[in-house]
Amino acid sequence: MDRNPANEALLQARVVADLRLLHLADSALPIGALAHSFGLESLTSSEVLTARDLPDFLQSYLEEAGTMEAVFCKEAFRLAGAAASENAFAASWVALNNLLSARKPARESRAGSASLGGNFLQVVLNLADLSLARTAVDASKRSASPVHHSTAFGLAGSLLGFAEDRVALVYLHQSVASLVSSCQRLLPLGQSEAARILWNLKPAIIDAANRGAACTLDDAYCFMPLLDWSAMEHPALNTRLFIS
Amino acid sequence: MASVAQNPREIASEVCVSPRLQASLTLDFARDEFARHTVLVASRQEPPLKVVRAFAVQDGAALAHLHNVSGGLLGGDRLALHVNVGAGASVQLTTTGATRIYRPRREALPTSQSNEFTVQQGALLEYVPDAIIPFAGARFSQATTIHLAQDAGLFWWEILAPGREARSETFAYDWVEMKTDVIALDQPIASERVRIEPRKRSAYSFGRLGPYRTWATFCIARVGPSAAGWLALEHELREKVLPRTKHGEILWGISALPAHGLMVRCVALHGRHVLPGLQALWQTAKRRLYGRDAVPPRKVN
Repeated sequence: MDRNPANEALLQARVVADLRLLHLADSALPIGALAHSFGLESLTSSEVLTARDLPDFLQSYLEEAGTMEAVFCKEAFRLAGAAASENAFAASWVALNNLLSARKPARESRAGSASLGGNFLQVVLNLADLSLARTAVDASKRSASPVHHSTAFGLAGSLLGFAEDRVALVYLHQSVASLVSSCQRLLPLGQSEAARILWNLKPAIIDAANRGAACTLDDAYCFMPLLDWSAMEHPALNTRLFIS
Repeated sequence: MASVAQNPREIASEVCVSPRLQASLTLDFARDEFARHTVLVASRQEPPLKVVRAFAVQDGAALAHLHNVSGGLLGGDRLALHVNVGAGASVQLTTTGATRIYRPRREALPTSQSNEFTVQQGALLEYVPDAIIPFAGARFSQATTIHLAQDAGLFWWEILAPGREARSETFAYDWVEMKTDVIALDQPIASERVRIEPRKRSAYSFGRLGPYRTWATFCIARVGPSAAGWLALEHELREKVLPRTKHGEILWGISALPAHGLMVRCVALHGRHVLPGLQALWQTAKRRLYGRDAVPPRKVN
């Protein structure tokens, strides 16, 4: 078969895009993800959540918080292409992140999400010249508004030319992988079992991404009162491995 | 699923694809500077929603009981509540009893309730209703928006029961959806989107309620105090509620919002433990924010 240079270049670009997406989702990306449990630490220390219950918990997490974050990730992804001007984009970006803050009732988890998001966007800016990402960072600073992780991931994914559905999937995968990693430090959970749990969650990750793609911000439901409680209680823990 | 005794009112073979009724209740409260009291200056009432009168509360507030003369919400009901709390006014709203969401007719539209509150500058709204009890098969959607102006305050809670527990009717409803937005000076400070579909996704999952059955949410807000002030109040309320937290029975969580307030979350095995805890937090927070006691509403029938 004849080699078509144009097709080869396209294939090469796709492979590079895939690798870059994997890179941005890697737990080794220096954004501080390993320092946050988002309420899991108090949930496990109070023995409400045990290793046995973890698969059920993570399944529900993806159905609720995962789907909500996927909706915000998607909305951020679409902002980049939808705004009529840089100013309009900046205003929408700040409003989107402020809304996500309001959806996060627990202070430490909200701050954790904002810490990861800010660090993530800064890392991306160090890797690639993305003027709209710079605009987003500047607008957030000016308005003292947070940059959340899911929105930062969605925006960067869009500006780097990744496919929308892949971005939400990969965001959810790294998010739940990070929670499993936290649980390995909090619970008697070995590497093999952790790998098995994450392996079995792939269909739930796909479901959450698909639901997120079909939802509006107004319908981005999240009912996780036990996790809300535990995240709110985290500041009161005497000994803490995690910031949130 | 538990068997449910069937009430003739709850079931009918009749197909109902349009709203059973649409009704609204509009209340406008203002501060009477001469009397130094809040008064109900205007109301527009459509049955079954009704407010008989506003009662004077000792701290200068007006207390109004929200009646639903049909005894609860029926399938296909579309009810709306609009409340304006004028500048400097202080209003306490409560229900006369639990809000019952009846089992709808098979083809009925979902039951919906929309609530729109505007709290003007320096005003205070205390919205302290009894629990919402969705009966077996209920499909209920509630949307609440609260706008807070400069120095406006809010104590707002909702308690969601799992059903008629005394009849072993727990999580037998089809779905309950609650959308709530608290907006201070045009910025969202609390936004909740809750949808519980027990048959599709177990409420007992450890990601949701786990072993608990009753859920409550309580927003405490006042536009003005600094972030440091809210952190201090978060700490104080956490200490206050610590003796009430009993693992396996009831859990209380408190956290500062992005600005202007706090959010309280409660999950409980039995609903009876929830209200005393909410009232204790209300009392402490009101003393701290307003320098006066919270006055639990008198109930009338």
